[in-house]
Amino acid sequence: MNVKGGSTMSLKMNKVFQDMDQFWSVELIGDVDIQTSGRLKEELNQLLDQKECDINIDCANLSYIDSTGLGVLIGVLKRVKKSENNILITNAQQNILKLLKITGLDKIFVMK
Amino acid sequence: MKDCISLTLPTKSEYVSVARLTASVVANNMGFDIESIEDIKVAVGEACNNAVLHGACQEDFEISFLIENSEFIVEVLDCGNGFSVDEYNEPDLMNPGENGLGIFIMRSLMDDVTVKSEVGQGTKIRMVKRLVV
Repeated sequence: MNVKGGSTMSLKMNKVFQDMDQFWSVELIGDVDIQTSGRLKEELNQLLDQKECDINIDCANLSYIDSTGLGVLIGVLKRVKKSENNILITNAQQNILKLLKITGLDKIFVMK
Repeated sequence: MKDCISLTLPTKSEYVSVARLTASVVANNMGFDIESIEDIKVAVGEACNNAVLHGACQEDFEISFLIENSEFIVEVLDCGNGFSVDEYNEPDLMNPGENGLGIFIMRSLMDDVTVKSEVGQGTKIRMVKRLVV
């Protein structure tokens, strides 16, 4: 299942369902901030509406995230935890890792 | 001698990135390293988010960047709802909520942060980052 995300100049999302291991792979490209976090929330919830499972968020090309974006991830985490699933954060850049460490979220999400 | 850069921005989310970008350029010109520039960018973003989210129906908010000696000073002023600073609680990081991380992040990334606010009278956030030579 390949679901291409919509994009604005500042955030692009590529979403793919991994059939073998049954999880959503979401690549974030650009900035998650007050302007784009609403769309992130909507699209992640839509994926879970289709299939409740782990979400792997590839942050290799995520250049910025703020507290509104972190809030969205926390909210989505609460939802996936209800079905005993997780959010995995992979390939986060140094600036993103720093924010996750400061807020303690590196202990709340599964970091890879 | 002080240099001052002032912006009046609409209280709309799409303009927060304008403030972040301006802060990055000014901080870079001052000689901050990349990590400090990122810290400043995030802190400025959080302060502006506050103005946009709680600015009620005020059309604009103000942000100033002051360069004084080796200090980079940011002031964000909105005339929105305001809040009771005494009632602000630090977030419980073991049980994170979806809101409330902004001020905590500002305080973690900047050297000094003062928040002055009164319900019904808006909010002024002042943040300082010192250049370490």
